[in-house]
Amino acid sequence: MAPRIGIVGIGHCRFGNSSDYDLVDVIAYSANDALEDAGGLALRKEVDQVFVGNMAAGMFNHQTAVASALISRMDMEPCPAELVENGPASGASAVKMGYMAIASGMADVVLVAAGEIMRTVSGWEATNIVATMAHTEAEYNMGLTLPGFAGMFTRLYMKKYGLTERDLALVAVKDHANAAKNKYAHVQLPVTIEAIADGPEAGVVNNYVAEPLRMYSTCPITDGSAAVILVNMDSPKAKLFGKKPIRIAGIASATDTHCVHNRKDPLVLDAVRLSAEKAYKMAGVGPADISVAELHDAFVIFELLNSEEVGFFERGKSFLGVRNHETEIGGRIPINTSGGLKAKGHPVGATGVSQIVELVRQLRGEAEEGRQVKDPKYGMAVNFGGFGNNVVTTILAKD
Amino acid sequence: MIDFSQYGEQTPHIHAFRCRKCGAIYYPSPMICAACDSKRDPVTGQGWEEFDLEGPCTLLTWTRVWNLPEGFNKKFLMFGMVAFPNGLKASGRIELEGDPEIGMALEAKVIEADERPGKPVKVFVFSR
Amino acid sequence: MAIDELEKKLRPPERGLPPYPAKMITLASGEVMVVREAKREDIGALLGTVYPLIEVAKDYYDIVAARMYNELLAMFRYRIANEFAIVGAIDGEIAGIVTSRDVDGKLGMSLHTLTIKRGLRVGAQLFAAKMEHHIEYCKEDEVWIVAESPIGFKRWMIEYELEDRSAQYPAVRHELGGVPTYALTRKLWDAVKAVKCTGTRPVPPEILRTADKLRMPNEYIQLPGWKRNG
Repeated sequence: MAPRIGIVGIGHCRFGNSSDYDLVDVIAYSANDALEDAGGLALRKEVDQVFVGNMAAGMFNHQTAVASALISRMDMEPCPAELVENGPASGASAVKMGYMAIASGMADVVLVAAGEIMRTVSGWEATNIVATMAHTEAEYNMGLTLPGFAGMFTRLYMKKYGLTERDLALVAVKDHANAAKNKYAHVQLPVTIEAIADGPEAGVVNNYVAEPLRMYSTCPITDGSAAVILVNMDSPKAKLFGKKPIRIAGIASATDTHCVHNRKDPLVLDAVRLSAEKAYKMAGVGPADISVAELHDAFVIFELLNSEEVGFFERGKSFLGVRNHETEIGGRIPINTSGGLKAKGHPVGATGVSQIVELVRQLRGEAEEGRQVKDPKYGMAVNFGGFGNNVVTTILAKD
Repeated sequence: MIDFSQYGEQTPHIHAFRCRKCGAIYYPSPMICAACDSKRDPVTGQGWEEFDLEGPCTLLTWTRVWNLPEGFNKKFLMFGMVAFPNGLKASGRIELEGDPEIGMALEAKVIEADERPGKPVKVFVFSR
Repeated sequence: MAIDELEKKLRPPERGLPPYPAKMITLASGEVMVVREAKREDIGALLGTVYPLIEVAKDYYDIVAARMYNELLAMFRYRIANEFAIVGAIDGEIAGIVTSRDVDGKLGMSLHTLTIKRGLRVGAQLFAAKMEHHIEYCKEDEVWIVAESPIGFKRWMIEYELEDRSAQYPAVRHELGGVPTYALTRKLWDAVKAVKCTGTRPVPPEILRTADKLRMPNEYIQLPGWKRNG
């Protein structure tokens, strides 16, 4: 029988501009934070395996083999360590690898630490680097970038379902309100619907980035790191950790076509739906059981689409739920209580672990006042590794 | 034998691929045919043939991007996805006055672009 | 007070620029920024606002603050011709300052843009207000523009599609450092003003009144730990 695997330590830094700092130091910062949360830095000697999530250190920071570097930074030799790169799903994929290491019996304690420092380069260069995840000949060479895909996608969704730009702005208002209370968020500034959508100056204050997506529908460029410590709850080593584990009830991933134009249905994210179905089955729960969710929202349209693909809303109806306040902290299904990638920020390789840290905080009851979901039982995270073509879904349980 | 046509003005083309075994067409090219499992050899091209992807197409969706990547020193660029009559789809740039409309008929041609360092690359341009 | 003859020689002849009509912009946070031209009595507060940033080497704040301090002081001391400063104030507190001058009625010389309150595109809004004043109110034909920050400048170069006059250097050179320059012409301004320049006029009196007496910020995000009053 597969062991029960839980999270016993979480670490996170303030997201924002860390470009003055060394990437591995920034990742180690969160790893130390997680070890301390778990009971102390000496516990690093109990770790059997390290996985590091990072997307593009080779381009942003001229660094490769980041996992090897982290081991020495953390005084953890000879612990095995590997880098996991899955685009912006590197973080969640690293957690999945950690889960698999424990489930296979090869490890009992795994440290997963993820980070990205993107602000060493200009915004244009960062956009360019992130765009390298697209198909080189058929997409990247055309000059297409992730915002470009998201703009085209949003236009189709608006045409089919009647979503408006104001609906996207409503989601941003919610995200910013949540992030304003999150000590780790990059942008801790609430925004108003009047300022970014309704008012006479909104068109300029909230300018177009990739029409019809505006600035307040797209995430900032962010640096940061996050870490978790996984343990085999059924092993003797579990007794070393003081905090009650938050169990990983389900974790799964799925892929879709690399080229966005080759998707079977341009408005359907098969990889999200399939990974969520597998995760739900593994956890033995369904959408109605989820108390809180962190859904990948590098572009606000994704929060909406993801919420439909995982079954929180009928297809094409999620924005109606937003209008109805259903995704706010006190609503039926609070989404992106951390502020989401939109306002918490999106250091690409770190995001997947950051989402899981948020879920653990919520499930433990440790979120800041004003953004703590009441009595949550199950949390779900969806992390994209591409334009929805490589998706990892994780479901956590408070037993 | 030398291909002397390489010494001259080249009109750029973007190629789609046809599996000779079963006739299935692809853009961009895979390494395995999903329809009949035959593999593609990128060196010899054996079993697969290339054909030009261009000409009339229909616009599926579009955007105007104001924050372009490094090297593209323009205020904005328009991009779109199109479908060709043979069922293949592609992404590329749009050159049009004013806003495009989903469903409009466009013509796909190929240019060479050099915004980024290195060799120029082939780019679809969809226009009227 | 009679100005003595020598002082008269040292003062520039003033053309008397048209005033910049105040406007207000609701920033993304919902805060209202009053954008108005600085008066002589504001200069003390502007100098005090700019001064601490001379210590900040990051993001070119030091050189921009040092040069802007010079421009504001020169305005006060009547040692610079036809300069204007536009201020953005949120609830009376200075959020950003831009300086510029009119050269000869046809040409404007953009000087500096300094953002105090970050994260709300204050600098972008004030830069646009500066261009608005040059072209719409002062009726100049074009404005010459350079910058200290390469990234800041590239943003303007791309977003405003500035004309590159650097090939005409040194005959055409910017007053700031005598460097090769770029230009925003009326045609280029007309092409972008709808997406770059915004604001509501007239400003309701009760809101305008909040910006009557400008306040210097007590703290700066650019200077962690620094406080104005000890």
